[in-house]
Amino acid sequence: MATEIDMPSPHRGEGQGEGQGVKEYRWRMPANWWTRTRHYFLYVAREFTAVPMALWLIWLLYEIKLAGNGPAGYYPPRSAAFVAFSAVVLLFALYHSYTFLKLAGVIIRVKVLDRSIPPRVIVMAMFGAWAAGSVVVGFVLIWFAR
Amino acid sequence: MADKRVTIQATRYDPDRDSAPRMQSYDIPFYDESMVVLDALNYIKNHVDGSLSFRWSCRMGICGSCGMMVNGTPKLTCNAFVRDYWPRAIHVGPLNNFPLIRDLVIDMDDFMHKLKSIKPWVIRKQELPLGAGEHRQTNQQIDEFRQFSECINCMLCYAACPVYGLNNEFLGPAAIALARRYNLDSRDQGLKERLPVIGDAEGVWECSFVGECSVVCPKGVDPAKAIQQTKLDTTMRFVLPYGNRD
Repeated sequence: MATEIDMPSPHRGEGQGEGQGVKEYRWRMPANWWTRTRHYFLYVAREFTAVPMALWLIWLLYEIKLAGNGPAGYYPPRSAAFVAFSAVVLLFALYHSYTFLKLAGVIIRVKVLDRSIPPRVIVMAMFGAWAAGSVVVGFVLIWFAR
Repeated sequence: MADKRVTIQATRYDPDRDSAPRMQSYDIPFYDESMVVLDALNYIKNHVDGSLSFRWSCRMGICGSCGMMVNGTPKLTCNAFVRDYWPRAIHVGPLNNFPLIRDLVIDMDDFMHKLKSIKPWVIRKQELPLGAGEHRQTNQQIDEFRQFSECINCMLCYAACPVYGLNNEFLGPAAIALARRYNLDSRDQGLKERLPVIGDAEGVWECSFVGECSVVCPKGVDPAKAIQQTKLDTTMRFVLPYGNRD
């Protein structure tokens, strides 16, 4: 007579567990893990660009608050340090936007007539929309600044 | 060719004797241009040092057992040719981010639990009787999930993922890719059963899109794509009217 035994299966996450009752060595990520490969470094650089951008936006909000009191007592920052910081933030913003939009082709799936749009077309559309949006924003800013 | 030699530096760890892993060097013949790192390890095991422990099975990139760090990169050792590294020494270590049991053998329990948690099988609300015939699919329906079904559970993506290395509560690339494989399957109706796991803070939202999982994947599964698409889909389900319907 056969006896059916419910065998523990690792595929069900059951069983004795390879590590149970055994002394294991547990690794820790070294603090410099992001210097191991170029890919990790570029990832951290991409994420880091958000920090100066956030600081610049906080500054912008502060300036908007000051400007809210009226033009009479408002003096926009014109120091060389602020201009240099803004230029760096602009470069960071461009790099961050570039990496973000470049990945859009991986993420977005669009189907037209049951056919998937190639990722390259989606990326080009994203960069096109970015360029068009920048032109519109630039036009509005220049228009109001006249 | 017979005179050529290669140095294999293998990680050794004996839990009964060692407090931390150490390195051991083996100088062995590089006997064949088609020799892979797994062949080198087997040569060591059979001719030099029988105590070296490592996992392997199929030798042809199918089973996913022989994943190890080769010169710091997660690789299937059956698919890593010695000629690509020679004459430099080749360092072979256990997969990163997993507890080490012995030498090159890691503890994969955590991965197995995560795999089970996403219910990687076709879930039906109500099974059809056998007489109703098979669930037919068009080529287009199969193409929706085919890429994500190529995963061989080799765990290279976990070894490459710094997010998993820093927080092993993260569900991880392979499990999420497999969840997407079933969620995209036209026969499956289990999305709502998987959502609490994949939509959790330790699910897709823990991923910050490093993308290294897709770089090291030996089968071209692209787990990073699966994760980002799942983020978009779950967001759309939340935002769009009727988005949460089946």
